[in-house]
Amino acid sequence: MAALLRGLRAGRALRGLGSVVATPTATTPQCSSLRRGFHCAALRLQDESKSDKPPSSSSTTYHEHYQAHSTEQDTTAASQEDSASDPAAETASGPNTSYQDQSGEQGEEYETEEQLQARILTAALEFVPQHGWSMEAIAAGAETLGLSSASTGMFYNGAGDLVLHFITHCNSQLTEILAEQHKQVQLGQAEPKETADFLRDAIETRLRMYIPYIETWPQAMSILLLPHNIPDSLKHLSTLVDDIWYYAGDRSTDMNWYTKRAALTGIYNTTELVMVQDSSPDFQDTWNFLDNRIQDVVNMATTAKQVECVVSLKNLTGLNQRR
Amino acid sequence: MQRAAHTALYDWSQIVGPAVIRRCLKCRATLQQSSRAFSVIPPPRDSEEKEMLDRILRVDHAGEYGASRIYAGQMAVLGRTRTGPLIQEMWDQEKKHLEKFNEILAENRIRPTALLPLWNIAGFVLGASTALLGKEGAMACTVAVEESISEHYNSQIRALMEKDPERYTELLKIIKEFRDDEMDHHDTGLEHDAETVSI
Repeated sequence: MAALLRGLRAGRALRGLGSVVATPTATTPQCSSLRRGFHCAALRLQDESKSDKPPSSSSTTYHEHYQAHSTEQDTTAASQEDSASDPAAETASGPNTSYQDQSGEQGEEYETEEQLQARILTAALEFVPQHGWSMEAIAAGAETLGLSSASTGMFYNGAGDLVLHFITHCNSQLTEILAEQHKQVQLGQAEPKETADFLRDAIETRLRMYIPYIETWPQAMSILLLPHNIPDSLKHLSTLVDDIWYYAGDRSTDMNWYTKRAALTGIYNTTELVMVQDSSPDFQDTWNFLDNRIQDVVNMATTAKQVECVVSLKNLTGLNQRR
Repeated sequence: MQRAAHTALYDWSQIVGPAVIRRCLKCRATLQQSSRAFSVIPPPRDSEEKEMLDRILRVDHAGEYGASRIYAGQMAVLGRTRTGPLIQEMWDQEKKHLEKFNEILAENRIRPTALLPLWNIAGFVLGASTALLGKEGAMACTVAVEESISEHYNSQIRALMEKDPERYTELLKIIKEFRDDEMDHHDTGLEHDAETVSI
């Protein structure tokens, strides 16, 4: 059902191009086939723009290809997506964008849809200060890669895709940095840090990645809070916090696993909020705030250990007998 | 009984596996921090396998934790009776199992179950309340619990064998060993008059 809606939405987007399109009666909505259609079209456009064809013909060929593809889709209802795309690619007499070889070796010209999306989104980041976290930024990014701005149709989640892509990128950068630091320590080339310092440095490094986009970051945060984005953003946040604790040396397998991560999530979120409102030079207020929060957590942990009255009470009542 | 003692002395270092080079799964790498060059579970090929292994090990970890708490409850009541040493011995074996799973969870970045506090209390209460019925009650509890644990381990072994026995040899070895230990506890319970319990 959702796939049908997506198919219809994609169809409407095409009509918005101003060309007459046969209504894509996606009777067997194979949403990924549609996406392959876009992908195929996008790649063809890329090739065509490389071969210097006039823009009007490129939009018509895109349209033709889409029609060819959708008819193909209707006729090969129950067939594999591969074979549906394949004859479509061949009938449109496009370049060699064979989909047969998906699982194994891939040719040098071939890239997966995910890779293409990633490239577009990375290019789009450049335009975020200008257009905000929006489809315009993605369209501008696509254009710098030589693709039509219609290739934004690939992104069903629009701005959400862009923000999530950026978050993933930042997280993997952080993990690389932490792994590198860990290697340095293992090799004896660096001193291991105290947990509090490690956490502070990790969060500071991670938040500093937002600095180029800090003007528009509140918009990104609100996009992440949209209901359909919440599962993804929570997943990214939890993997981030888990990674930081893992590299900080946490190997707990009891409730501490949860309390530590909850504490760090709280610190990270509140520091992020402070950062978007911070106007001090180089965000010094934010780092001070971060310092204080981490200190709070450390104090709480030490206090908990120091609760000796509980232990002595247990001793008095004979509950602490070791056998 | 003798077999239980024998397995209790069974040296973990006898589990030797090939050196496994860990792959980075997207960016969630595990670090080779321990001096051993082997790992109990193979580096997961994809997130589906990782989830399956995570679930298996999380459940096993929770199970051993609960078992440990059950014996703790039994000891709290019967610790100073004749059956004290017997229960202590079985408890020590469970602690060893728990330690092993703690290691595996830590090495492979597996999240422990969030229900640990629940198993903590429930296990202790179960152990203590059955022990209050006397030695036979405690043994009956042991028999029942160990039987279901063995069944659980057996179904895990079946599942892993169905998937790919070659790939999971290390893990299968450990689970089989633990299952044998649990069967020993079960037999010990029967030996010590579990079936004569009068409720």
